[in-house]
Amino acid sequence: MHKESAIREPLILGQDVTYSKITNDVLHTIENEPTKMWKILMTIATLIALWGVGCILYLLGTGIGTWGLNNTVGWAWDITNFVWWVGIGHAGTLISAVLLLFRQKWRMAINRPAEAMTIFAVFMAGTFPMIHMGRIWMAYWVLPLPNQFGSLWVNFNSPLLWDVFAITTYMSVSLVFWYIGLIPDFATIRDRAKKPVPKLMYALLSFGWTGNAKAWQRFEEVSLVLAGLATPLVFSVHSIVSMDFATSVIPGWHTTIFPPYFVAGAVFSGFAMVQTLMIIVRKAMRLEQYVTIKHIEYMNIVIIVTGSIVGVAYLTELFMSYYSGVEYESYAFINRFSGPYAWAYWTMMTCNVVSPHLFWFKKLRTSLGFTFFMSIIVNIGMWFERFVIIVTSVHRDYLPSSWSMFYPTWVDLGVYIGTIGIFSVFYLLFLKYFPVLAFNEVKSILKSSGEKYKNMSDEEFKKLHPVKK
Amino acid sequence: MANTKKYWKGLEQFNEDAKFLESSKNEFPEHLPVDEFLGDASSLESSSTSRRDFLKFLGFGVAAASLAACETPVTKAIPYLNKPEEITPGVANYYASTYFDGNDYAPILVKTREGRPIFISGNTSSTLTKGAVNARVNSSVLSLYDNNRLKNPLANGKDSDWNTVDSAIKNELASAKNVRILSSTIISEATRSILFDFAAKEVKDEKGVVKGRQLDGWVQYNPISYSGIINANQETFGKGAIPTYNFKKAKTIVSIGADFMGNWLDALMYINDYAQTRKPDNDWMSKHYQFEANMSLSGTNADVRVPVKPSEYGAVVAQILNKLGGGVSAAATKYDTYIDAVVKALKATAGESIVVCGSNDKNVQVLVNGINNLLGNYGNTIDLVRQSNTKKGDDAELLKLIKEMNAGEVDALFIYGVDPVATLGDEFKAALAKVKLSVSFASKLNDTAATCKYVCPDNHGLESWNDANPVEGHYSLAQPTISKLFNTRQAQESFLTWKGNNTSYYDYLKAYWEANIFTKQTNQLFFTDFWNKALHDGVVEISTQSTEVLSFNADLNAAYTAVKTIKGGELEIVLTQNMGIGDGAGADNPWLQEMPDPLTKVTWDNYVTMNPAEMLDRGYNINLGQEQLANVVNVTVNGKTVENLPVVAQPGQAKGTIGVALGYGKKVGNMSEPTGKNAYPLVTLTENGLSYYGVATLADVSMEYHVAATQTQQTIMGRDSIIRETVLDVYKKGNKEDYNPAHTLLFHEKGEAIQKSVKEIDLWGAQPVENIGHRWGMSIDLNTCIGCSACVTSCVSENNIAVIGKDEVRRGRIMHWMRIDRYYSSDYQEIGKIGDTHEKTKAGDNVGGISAYAKMERAADNPMVVHQPMMCQHCNHAGCETVCPVAATTHSNEGLNMMAYNRCIGTRYCANNCAYKVRRFNWYNYKAYNKFTEVNPSQDDLGRMVLNPDVVVRSRGVMEKCSLCVQRIQAGKLDAKKLSAKVVDGAIQTACSSACPTNAITFGDLNDTSSKVAEGKNHNRAYLVIEEVGQQPNVYYQTKVRNLKNSEA
Repeated sequence: MHKESAIREPLILGQDVTYSKITNDVLHTIENEPTKMWKILMTIATLIALWGVGCILYLLGTGIGTWGLNNTVGWAWDITNFVWWVGIGHAGTLISAVLLLFRQKWRMAINRPAEAMTIFAVFMAGTFPMIHMGRIWMAYWVLPLPNQFGSLWVNFNSPLLWDVFAITTYMSVSLVFWYIGLIPDFATIRDRAKKPVPKLMYALLSFGWTGNAKAWQRFEEVSLVLAGLATPLVFSVHSIVSMDFATSVIPGWHTTIFPPYFVAGAVFSGFAMVQTLMIIVRKAMRLEQYVTIKHIEYMNIVIIVTGSIVGVAYLTELFMSYYSGVEYESYAFINRFSGPYAWAYWTMMTCNVVSPHLFWFKKLRTSLGFTFFMSIIVNIGMWFERFVIIVTSVHRDYLPSSWSMFYPTWVDLGVYIGTIGIFSVFYLLFLKYFPVLAFNEVKSILKSSGEKYKNMSDEEFKKLHPVKK
Repeated sequence: MANTKKYWKGLEQFNEDAKFLESSKNEFPEHLPVDEFLGDASSLESSSTSRRDFLKFLGFGVAAASLAACETPVTKAIPYLNKPEEITPGVANYYASTYFDGNDYAPILVKTREGRPIFISGNTSSTLTKGAVNARVNSSVLSLYDNNRLKNPLANGKDSDWNTVDSAIKNELASAKNVRILSSTIISEATRSILFDFAAKEVKDEKGVVKGRQLDGWVQYNPISYSGIINANQETFGKGAIPTYNFKKAKTIVSIGADFMGNWLDALMYINDYAQTRKPDNDWMSKHYQFEANMSLSGTNADVRVPVKPSEYGAVVAQILNKLGGGVSAAATKYDTYIDAVVKALKATAGESIVVCGSNDKNVQVLVNGINNLLGNYGNTIDLVRQSNTKKGDDAELLKLIKEMNAGEVDALFIYGVDPVATLGDEFKAALAKVKLSVSFASKLNDTAATCKYVCPDNHGLESWNDANPVEGHYSLAQPTISKLFNTRQAQESFLTWKGNNTSYYDYLKAYWEANIFTKQTNQLFFTDFWNKALHDGVVEISTQSTEVLSFNADLNAAYTAVKTIKGGELEIVLTQNMGIGDGAGADNPWLQEMPDPLTKVTWDNYVTMNPAEMLDRGYNINLGQEQLANVVNVTVNGKTVENLPVVAQPGQAKGTIGVALGYGKKVGNMSEPTGKNAYPLVTLTENGLSYYGVATLADVSMEYHVAATQTQQTIMGRDSIIRETVLDVYKKGNKEDYNPAHTLLFHEKGEAIQKSVKEIDLWGAQPVENIGHRWGMSIDLNTCIGCSACVTSCVSENNIAVIGKDEVRRGRIMHWMRIDRYYSSDYQEIGKIGDTHEKTKAGDNVGGISAYAKMERAADNPMVVHQPMMCQHCNHAGCETVCPVAATTHSNEGLNMMAYNRCIGTRYCANNCAYKVRRFNWYNYKAYNKFTEVNPSQDDLGRMVLNPDVVVRSRGVMEKCSLCVQRIQAGKLDAKKLSAKVVDGAIQTACSSACPTNAITFGDLNDTSSKVAEGKNHNRAYLVIEEVGQQPNVYYQTKVRNLKNSEA
């Protein structure tokens, strides 16, 4: 048994925490009737989701013209939302895979909800490239399927095709990783379940988990392997998404800095979204002992770091546009900060570059209220970042004759809000029916990082864990 | 031996058992349990349906079911029973014909497919127009298939039939004493002859003996009148006619308010000639001065343009005459510095210049005649002996007619080719009410037709026979290219019928030509040959030697005294025509409504144009956009008000003036509301004729209005690799680096910094198309492109481009595959980049700095203008091709950037990555979605007939763009293949190049070194738009050269 330094702050708070308490704390939502608050939230989320589905159906039935796009601005909110959701979907895998490899134990309290968020966010993200197609019924043509159309094949030069591969790979690996982690927890629920139907359902979901040592050993190995697989994906997905823009000829898109800049931005927005969700979840589900202020603070530190990277990237872009001497490139950036969409640019700059630095103050980065507020600000900022890149680059590109503005329609808005609704429905279902914390993993750090054990004297600890000879 | 052996079935038979014998009478010896297995035996027996009935029903049922199942889904395709000899499905036929609508005259070539006219281009055999057409002419094919045309004659507003209408009109005519005809200008000699027969009265001498017949009841009326010129010529030369102009010889062109490239007089006869003089490689290039209030198409092409109020046109003309030494002591004007330059240029090119003026004031035109006479232009560049017949509207006669109508003296009035209730307003309507018998020949229920007692709808021009005599010695024929779509009748035939003459107009026309035209020529011996050749060629030219001598004789000072009385005002109005709608002829044509105005780029509306500086003073919004709305005003002239006109900024509009286009206010397609406002009430009709200038007052209306413009940005933002322009003396120096420098990039190689041409820098291998097979390309001369937009509608017609209506145009979704980009110069433009021609125009304004960019978006007060046709550039290294995930857009081995609609999934990535923004997305199902029912003619069975069967109609969700008319390329290659020959340069023309009246667009094979397009590509002025991006387009542009000196630029 390894023991952690007493200087490190404990990751599980409270003197009363035991293994069974952890199980009870996590599973009480699953094993009890849903609360009134859950029902209210679910109703609202369902209504918004239905509205979104309605907007999507209207869009698919009528045409892309129901969006505000035009001949000059061929992508706007659709791809903005896509990149925004993909970005949000970054934190989960980063937390569960990268932090697992780095043996960061604090991840255990947040990896499950963060991964769930990832899955749902990537699902939402995937919706946009589908529905933004003029002919969605031909969407399967982007897959390199053997076909009878002659020599028709996909175009491997197209970054959009790379996107298809990147997103689907990321989606499937994240899903498998998340599911593998859920198996032992499902087994616990199965074992405790009293009603036959839930018992059957969780039995099916838990794949006959027995909990013997061999199973645990294999579980650890698979987790490690999947973490190894998922880690490059964290970097590849958003790099490839950024190549949609970086490989084009449009000034403002054609930027070699995009891959790292997009990854940093993605982690930035992903952590912000985790904050938004976790602050609500820990309160509503009374998980304060497991998701502590320390966790919040750690995530805020990640936000400072990635926010700073993003800030540097913005400034580098500006410098490069000036230094390049290309008039279109210079103008693209002059237009960003002084043109008709300057308000979007300055919103982005304020939210993404200025505001994260408030977290240098310990008081602020350990304040729940402020963190929640900031997480919203960052996600607004990151949405605007994508909007600024996509729309303000194309709306004024090479030929001034084609310069144009973009005005969203109610369908643009409806689809966007709708995806937030659909996401919320999924997330609420997750909170109700899935173990919110990876409690079997959390248990593994109780003795090493739990407050109760950390503050014990050696004698007390030895009494609790007598060493057998 | 007969076989007598008998076989028996069993012992029972052999024994002749009684039971067996009994049962053997039945078909089946034993009882079959049929009733049992069919069901209830008793009910079966009681049923009246026998087995035979059952089989009948079964047979009928099967037959009926199989008949129903075999019904072919295509029910409308009917094969020819007897195939017409000249029609081969899939092969187009071309017929020479003539377009004349009372305003534009153009000999045309009509393309028909399977008996349907689908495309109109100019007839290059004509020496008058040299194949020039404008947008109205090539769009007229759509109005043929207008479902809102009258389908039957109307009597008192109700559908009737020809017999009823004919007998009623004949009855009423019998008692009518004073029969009058009000028509547009008639240039058809045969028609004139019919009208003469119909309405001429016997003239008797004092003794009451019939001397002859005279047609005095016929009034020709042009809504846009040129009677000022006719009257001035009557006064100065004794010949009231419109002269012909030879712009080809004109080295100095001075126009005072005359838009001779757009809508003034016979613009189609001038523009090709004008363009010939604008080539900087020739020995000389014409110099064009334009004094005008409104920015006109001519103004945009002028070398020097001076904004002048319309009330000052006379003063400017007088001062030019004065300074030329014309004996008029005119007062000094504000524009004397320009006038001095004009006078100097005119003196240097006396006899080789043209001075024209757009005023309809006789006295101003007398002074203009004075100038041209003084310069000796008559007989050289201006020919009044060989007069033009296309504009004969006589304002004085019109006034007289209205007076007579009001007095109740007119018994019968036949209104042909004009819509006077719309153009002359309520006064005419009131007068018309006093006429007993009023007959209109309108093919649609226009304002006049709705007021007339009878409407006898005329055929569409493409359904009609006709002839034309636009200019002395020039004849052309119009022939029907389709049989009548509706129960209409050609007006000429109506006149003949009512006169009791039952010959068809075709026979009449032929007989007329045999008697009158055939006899004038000597080339053909037999009339049949002459007729066939004339019909085939479309045009006939008969050289006439006129001995007419005209001498100039005018009291210029008296004219000047009259000119001095022209009063201006604080705000003056100029009523104009725009390129799409003209005098109103194109107002009901969706293609023309959707054609962006060459200057403002506004579609589907008329509006008040105003100088942006003055708009800012008045607090109006000068930047229009999807959600940036226009302010609205009421315009009042002479007590008449046109309400709710939006105000649109027009840089270059003379301060203190506004412009409004005429001809709007009609319903288009199935639209419930008219588009634009009818501005004709603002035209004043006085004893001096119709006047299109006046003093206006504006009243703000507290509403805002959506204006749909296809281009909202005004300036080029100093981007000299999009537009290259220079001045003539720099160009003549011959140093290419001064006016068309190559794009280079600084490279570091072998320790040295070297400049490399961007052509050498490439990540990819060269396309395999260079020098192998064909490489299609285009060359566009910015010097000869005048911006008329005939190519735009031609492209719409050829490529089945959807009409999307005002709301969608406003949203920036126009579907046009080619557009004409219009750029104004800006005072803040950093134009000092190329050569030594320019300098920073406003020092101290931080030109090139960040703060200057916002200012650069504003056009100058009196800007220079460039028109740039822009379509798919068919880049050899196309941005669109690499990004398509499904390879729906690819490069052909002939250099074409191709679009496979069937493969497109509509990600729009290609459109985003197109540096030229020429790709068009099908945002909706334009051919079926209800938003477009009112505007898109393709949603109508009849309107669909205009579709080109060689070009697919695109479905929702796919990308489309210019294909360089690939269907024509394929057809041209096949034609060459059939002849086993190479494709001859010029044999393949794209829709735009065939429509271009000035031949600014050249299409051809870049690999054919002797081709015109290769010549254009290798020209010193040739450049590629944004070449430094490295997409290697196949469309070359040629630097615009203005005839200016360095110091004037």
